[in-house]
Amino acid sequence: MKKFHLTPSWHMLIASSAAACVAVAAPGPPPAAVLPEVRADGDLDAQLDAARKRLEEAAHEVAQLSSQLSGSVIQQVMPFEPGHAIIGVQLEPATGTAGARVREVSPGGPAAEAGIHVGDVIVAVNGTELKGREPARQVVRIMRDVQPDATVHLRVLRDGKTRELSVTARPGPAVLASVHGLSDLGFGPFPEWHGALMLHGPLMDMELATLTPRLGGYFGSDQGVLVVRAPADGALKLEDGDVILAIDGRQPTSGSHATRILSSYQPGEKLTLRIIRQHKTLEVDATLPESMGRIRKDMMWREVAPRERTEPARRVLILGRDEA
Amino acid sequence: MHPDLDQQRSLARRLRELPDEAAQPYGWREFQRRSGARRRAGQGLAGGRALATASVLALGIIAVWTRLDGWSPQSARLTREALPPLAGRTAAMEHWLASLPSEPAVVHVGTRAAVTGLEDRIAQVDDLLSAERLDEAHPARLLALQQARTRLVGALVQVRYAETLADESR
Repeated sequence: MKKFHLTPSWHMLIASSAAACVAVAAPGPPPAAVLPEVRADGDLDAQLDAARKRLEEAAHEVAQLSSQLSGSVIQQVMPFEPGHAIIGVQLEPATGTAGARVREVSPGGPAAEAGIHVGDVIVAVNGTELKGREPARQVVRIMRDVQPDATVHLRVLRDGKTRELSVTARPGPAVLASVHGLSDLGFGPFPEWHGALMLHGPLMDMELATLTPRLGGYFGSDQGVLVVRAPADGALKLEDGDVILAIDGRQPTSGSHATRILSSYQPGEKLTLRIIRQHKTLEVDATLPESMGRIRKDMMWREVAPRERTEPARRVLILGRDEA
Repeated sequence: MHPDLDQQRSLARRLRELPDEAAQPYGWREFQRRSGARRRAGQGLAGGRALATASVLALGIIAVWTRLDGWSPQSARLTREALPPLAGRTAAMEHWLASLPSEPAVVHVGTRAAVTGLEDRIAQVDDLLSAERLDEAHPARLLALQQARTRLVGALVQVRYAETLADESR
């Protein structure tokens, strides 16, 4: 188990979190702060840059640890199941009408992105009308067969009116088998696990912007994502000002989408980028930097034979022994 | 008077005071009746013992099962009570998240990867909560998932706040 120490970045994050909580609890304009007059010199700029970096690193660590903690809970509920498609809603039976009522929408999830609201009543999924006594369960059943990145067409009732919405299902994050669980299966010892698949290293500093029609006109494309700052050390062979049109055929629609696509690769994996550079469309073959993550290169899903005849075969995530 | 003589007289008196011979011995039928009654009483006692043992065993099994499964009537009640406050706690955080643009104008990939990772994990937990609730899952499982969701939403608020701060200071 990783020992947890309050590093300066943690102090900073806690302070910022406290400020965030205050902001959440009491929204409104902050009181006018009396700031000491400072000279904008190089030292202060460097300090600010360093502080910003620490803040981002701490945020990253918070995300990793939280994902890791929740992963163990999910593993207990859904042991050893590889990530399947997710849309990010909690459903319940609707009262008074046939359909499944949306009880919660995951912030930033596929359903939220598609414009689904709490209280919407889903009446049809991919053209199949929800009928019978258990419409919410019917949606869950249909979703089990949906592939990641597939579009799910939903017909919803909102304020008495019918709307058609399209949700792009995302691949669910991998559920990791705990060291304990794997030891039971005869594997191990295992290296320390650092959390969900997240970017590190040279790609950390890359900056992207979603192309607006005006910006797109300037760069000669009405789609894609602009590289504001290319990754350090020439990683991915990108340059400032490139427009990423596709990553292995997947067209990023926003900076977040491009980040999600890149996060789905493992260090050392090869990919092909279709980009616009100085008004010319190019195909660039690149390799994800090895140092970008602490994720194991040799990580893989492996079928595990059942111990008992009555048990089904299971898939577990295997981590190798070499150093990340 | 010698004390031994006194004792003998006393003994003789007590012998004389003894009741007449007891009632006549009972016959074979009476013997069978009494014997049957004794056996039934013994069986009743043995049945009672077996029942008590079984009860103790059953209680033991239930105790072990609830211990292993982490469930008890009290815990079920507690989990049912704990769910609404957890949902309420995330509502304020989600309200703040909803007030933000979906992403900053310029996306810093390192921080965004943390945000998207958390968003996907929350979506996964929500889908699971939906399925588990519809399957009338154990309240303790629902509570564990709800707690995980609260923790993830809290982390998302922190990361997005850091992202907003960094974006505004650029």
